[in-house]
Amino acid sequence: MDKLSIITSFIHSIIVMNIPLLYGTVGEILVEKSGSLNLGVEGTMAVGAVIGYICGCWANSLGVGILTAFVMGALCGLIFAVLTVSLQANQNITGLTLTTFGLGVYFFVGNALRSAKAFPTMNDYDSIRAGFEDIPIPLLSKIPVIGPGLFSHNILVYLGIAIAVLVWWYLKHTSPGLRLRSIGENPAAADSVGISVNRNKYLHICLGCGIMGIGGYYMSLYMSGSFNSNCWINGYGWIAVALVIFANWNPALAIVGTFVFGFFNTLRVSGPSLAVAFPGALGWLAGIPTQLYQALPFIITAIVLVVTSLRGNKFSSGLPAALGLNYFREER
Amino acid sequence: MGFHIVKRENCPWWQRLILYVAAVLIALGLGAVVLLFMGVDPIEYYYQMFTMGTVGNRIAYKTFMNYLKEFVPLALTATALSLAFKMRFWNIGGEGQFIMGSIAAAFVVFRFGPVLPMWLTLVLMCLAAMLVAGLYGSIAGVLKVKFGTNETLLTLMLNYVALYVLNFIGETKADWNFFLQEQSARPVFKNFSSIAAFPQFALGGKFQLNLCVILTFAVGALVFIYLKYTKQGYEVSVVGDSLGSARYAGMKTGWVILRTVFLSAALIGLAAAFKVGTAGVLSTSITDDVGWTGITVAWLAQLYTPMIFLVSALICVLQHGSMVAAATFSQVDSSFANMLQGAILFLVLAADFYTRFRLARVKKGEKKNG
Repeated sequence: MDKLSIITSFIHSIIVMNIPLLYGTVGEILVEKSGSLNLGVEGTMAVGAVIGYICGCWANSLGVGILTAFVMGALCGLIFAVLTVSLQANQNITGLTLTTFGLGVYFFVGNALRSAKAFPTMNDYDSIRAGFEDIPIPLLSKIPVIGPGLFSHNILVYLGIAIAVLVWWYLKHTSPGLRLRSIGENPAAADSVGISVNRNKYLHICLGCGIMGIGGYYMSLYMSGSFNSNCWINGYGWIAVALVIFANWNPALAIVGTFVFGFFNTLRVSGPSLAVAFPGALGWLAGIPTQLYQALPFIITAIVLVVTSLRGNKFSSGLPAALGLNYFREER
Repeated sequence: MGFHIVKRENCPWWQRLILYVAAVLIALGLGAVVLLFMGVDPIEYYYQMFTMGTVGNRIAYKTFMNYLKEFVPLALTATALSLAFKMRFWNIGGEGQFIMGSIAAAFVVFRFGPVLPMWLTLVLMCLAAMLVAGLYGSIAGVLKVKFGTNETLLTLMLNYVALYVLNFIGETKADWNFFLQEQSARPVFKNFSSIAAFPQFALGGKFQLNLCVILTFAVGALVFIYLKYTKQGYEVSVVGDSLGSARYAGMKTGWVILRTVFLSAALIGLAAAFKVGTAGVLSTSITDDVGWTGITVAWLAQLYTPMIFLVSALICVLQHGSMVAAATFSQVDSSFANMLQGAILFLVLAADFYTRFRLARVKKGEKKNG
């Protein structure tokens, strides 16, 4: 492989390896903007991944897979919403339980099918495989070196970016988006001007969790459906929770954040090959422990958290003021 | 016709009990449906699970000893977390504090174990684990008190930082790394059970009671007394109920928060020392997720120490029992326990609602509300 193509494939990997983070983050932003802190991203993505993958394969259709993953994610969101919105359960506990439950479902369903020798192999399903192939954008993908890296991706990459932009526009420029943000800031005030708090919370929690589900499905396809004792999601859900903070609750910044976190994540894998290709400039990459790359997203986010709290009110943080608090009408 | 939600002041204990038992039974029923679908007799499966296969088993004492090894870290971690939760300080960094504590404990064993008497090594190991875990937890405490940093999210991040520190130690072969076996070419944690292990007492037959079990119950009793009968414990609950009232009453709230967070994290460190001192070896999955499970246990037990011990005991039966049952019923994966645990928790959380609120019918002519 020549040196330029190593750079191209590095850029390409930054995007394809890390798009699930974008799905998880954008979904979680929608949920958190409604004032709910859902720590069940990891579990939601896992359920969407395994059930979406199996149903998608059985139907031999990428669309069915995406839809199933979305519905499964939304169902996880529904559990969360029923418990925290209607039944006033603690959000942290419910979210963590959702993760335990979701990972339980993931391994239970996967292992049951595997031991029955019925776990679908992606290679057997031509239209899934074809659907996940790269679609180059005309002209742009012809730019040397960066073109094939940036502008030639599978359909779910484009979908993820489209969803992020759409959610950004929805939150920033539409009146339902404004209403949603007002609920996250001060549900009692929103209620008093006639906004239906509970209905909005239900809707956006389910929608957000559905988006996370698609992210999980992406991961199953990226791993070519090879099911083993390592979960496909493998901590992406938790990085997404961190990324929401890093992106300051802004879906457009989440795209940038995905590539920043993705850069380190990809360096972990491709660092050695870059070091071999450019021993002079990048040889030092080989000496960095991979665990540092893995820890970096969390270290950066912790620093961001502390720095934003240092600046206090002078900095316009996107953190919804009522995040994590349940709304009980008779206590307003 | 509509309903609205009304807060209820006190729910009699028997109603509470009925609700919780009903929730657990429904969850087990749902699990039974899944088992039937898998072609497994649910009664047989649950029998294996809840007895952990001990009935008519010659090595039942061994099963029970292994069970206690899982119980000790979970009960202690959940007890420790309840201290912070009482103050509404959302320490979800139990995993990270546990990991830091276990690294500190192993450090003491490898560095001082060979030259010191074993009892001194064990004491130092516990103290070092408590100190390191306590300081690690205090990071979030200090920042919360000083700058109002969100402690839920910060402790969550610190969990992963700690995890990758442990992974780094466990996966890096180097001259300085005395945590690993020297002989092995691949990185493998060195076993130290011959240098330091908590003493066990024979209690009739072959059953050996580990000192950690006794100490865990002792710490549980101390925490119970601390929260219920001491001035500091009272301060914790006032700060939790209302920060404003605590300040008005002249309490140094920042100091109370810091002190309690340190204590909470330090006890998690102690749990880690117990775990490391009985396992005799580090591992990258040393926590067994007790930092996560402990959170739900503490909450389910409503932060009441005796309940925490009971709930921990039950959760461990579920987890340990499903592993035993998976050996008999090969088609049911042991992840069934996590699924079942999730379902039970969901339903108990739902039942909890009815102990705190009730649905009232909206009377005629009254406006619909909520």
